[in-house]
Amino acid sequence: MSIPLEHVIILASLLFAMGLGCTVAWRSNVIMMLIGIEIMLNAVMLVFVGASARWGVADGQLFALLIMALTSAEVSLALAMVVYLHRRKKTVNTDVFDSMKG
Amino acid sequence: MKLYLAIMLLLPLAGGLTSALAGRLLPRRLLEFLICATVWGGFVCAALAAASYTAPLTVNLAPWITAFDLGAPLSLYLDPLSLSLAVMVTFVCGLIHIYSVFYMAEEGDYPRFFALLNLFVFAMLTLLLAENLPLLYLGWEGVGFCSYLLIGFWYQDKANADAGRKAFITTRIGDTALVIGIAWLFQLFGTFSMVQLNGMAFLIPGGVVTAIGVLFLIGAMGKSAQVPLQVWLPDAMAGPTPVSAMIHAATMVTAGVYLLARMFPFFGGSAVVTSAIAVTGGITAFYGASCAVAQRDLKRVLAFSTISQIGYMMLGVGAGAITAATFHLLVHAFFKALLFLGAGCVITAMHHEQDIFKMGGLRRSLPVTFWCFLAGSACLAGIPLTGGFFSKDSIIGALWLKGVPLYQALYVLALITALLTSFYSFRLVYLVFGGETNAHIHGSRELKVMELVLVPLALLGLCGGVLDLPGYLGGGFLGHFFANLAGGKAAEAPQATEIVLQAIAGALALAGLAAAHVAFSGKARAKRIAEADNPSALTSFLFHAWHFDDLYRLLFIRPYAALSGFLWQRMDEGVIDDSLDRLAQGVGATGTWFGRWTAGRISLYIVSFAAGGAAILGYLAWVTLS
Repeated sequence: MSIPLEHVIILASLLFAMGLGCTVAWRSNVIMMLIGIEIMLNAVMLVFVGASARWGVADGQLFALLIMALTSAEVSLALAMVVYLHRRKKTVNTDVFDSMKG
Repeated sequence: MKLYLAIMLLLPLAGGLTSALAGRLLPRRLLEFLICATVWGGFVCAALAAASYTAPLTVNLAPWITAFDLGAPLSLYLDPLSLSLAVMVTFVCGLIHIYSVFYMAEEGDYPRFFALLNLFVFAMLTLLLAENLPLLYLGWEGVGFCSYLLIGFWYQDKANADAGRKAFITTRIGDTALVIGIAWLFQLFGTFSMVQLNGMAFLIPGGVVTAIGVLFLIGAMGKSAQVPLQVWLPDAMAGPTPVSAMIHAATMVTAGVYLLARMFPFFGGSAVVTSAIAVTGGITAFYGASCAVAQRDLKRVLAFSTISQIGYMMLGVGAGAITAATFHLLVHAFFKALLFLGAGCVITAMHHEQDIFKMGGLRRSLPVTFWCFLAGSACLAGIPLTGGFFSKDSIIGALWLKGVPLYQALYVLALITALLTSFYSFRLVYLVFGGETNAHIHGSRELKVMELVLVPLALLGLCGGVLDLPGYLGGGFLGHFFANLAGGKAAEAPQATEIVLQAIAGALALAGLAAAHVAFSGKARAKRIAEADNPSALTSFLFHAWHFDDLYRLLFIRPYAALSGFLWQRMDEGVIDDSLDRLAQGVGATGTWFGRWTAGRISLYIVSFAAGGAAILGYLAWVTLS
């Protein structure tokens, strides 16, 4: 039994919107923002996999694997940076780190 | 022949460049010797060329401008006209160079002076020997450029620099007309060669010949200081005196006359052009002489006399008497160089005093200068049997022999001018050399040498008449020499007419001398000097040169300055600058306002990013759905 592509896309869109909402709204905590980014990436991955199943082409699944590898690398780097930032200012609130002000 | 001509041109150029580039490195004596030697070397070449001259010839030295059908090689043309002038220019300039060495003995910036002097000679020789119009124009601009720099030689004084600029700008007006004429000729005939052009005038309508002739005349007006472009010449006195001598006698101002004489076969057929040349010359001759009568500055008197004498030459060209015009040009070069160099001696001796009303008694303290200056004045006045008498009279006679009412009116004008000329020449002599001395004379070794230079010029001026004696005295050398030149054949007159014409001119010259004697000798001299501080209206009018400068200031300079002021303050600063300033301020303010967006808060960036993404998505959705 196959799930229609529309359903997959609707689910992915909802996931993406929630991830974006999390990233935008939860600015007092950089870890929550990272989680939001992860959710968005997963939504994208879902679309790839769904499309791959729909047309029977393996490229989408390859991309999903690629994104997984990329995400793990990104998270490990990002968390290391979070630790570093926390050491500097004793906080994980992103708005405190505004030294790039124009 | 080719060698002579090439060396004649290259020597002054090499001297000028050496002086300009390495003048400071050489010992002063060596440099002075060098720059005199180059010009005298040029004279030797010119003399050798004259000795081996047989017939007009064109010498091709090198290609110069070659582009499609436009060709202007470095080619020279030697005919009686250019040959006689080249000999004269190198000789007179050679004497002036020797004189300058001593005149400028105390000048610190001598390499610049000598370099310009030599380049001046080079430019003039290029102008004289050029076979095609672009090469002639190169020399034409060369003399203009050198004269500009030499007139403003003492440029730290603003008046001198202004005089240089005035000369440059005024002559530039004429030059523009000349360039248009040259371009037009090329467009019509596809060649620049003057030899070819001179034989092709019959191919085009008379109106075009007239128009081109008038353009060339305007060019000559600028260079030769003819009314209405004469205003620069009196101010050109700001330069050192040897420079004045060079500009007035041998180089610069004769260029216009030479150009018209050279191109005469081209537009000689157009009665309008020849009449225009003659009228310009006649008016200028009278104008110059009338102004010279009232001047107080020694050099300005001579400057106005130059304007007047060049006017005579123009009259000669206008009357078709090229031989007479060239004859006067040559003799004038001798006596005008003599007068200017004599004036230089006087000015040096008088501690740079130039007001003739403050001079006097110099006949005893500067006897050599006095006798030479007297000879020069006699030539200028046209006292019978001097060179000036024969040359001026051949022009005046040619006017009468045209037998046309216009030329006869000009003949009368020329006679009145001759009377005035004689009067102001001897006025000058009486005021400068007459009376009793009232100043200490600054004698020096340099002055002695400078006086010696005057002697050969005085002899040449006095005896210049033998160059072209009138028919009843056996005919002249120049007349035969120029016989084959187009326009060179003078109208033959019965000897009786010729003698009567010369008698009238001679009588008028003597009358001028008598008038000057009555007005300025003995006790009358003191009276004139006393009167000089309260000039009459006429004297003042003539002193200010008919107020031409004021007229031009009113007609051209003030409207131009007003327009410039308007364009500067209203247009440039008001419209262009202000609008740019406003625009820049607006962009700056907008930038600052947008700059607040980069608050450094990552959350804001993310929201902006998301909003941007949403906007793009919305647009794509709208495009897809509609």
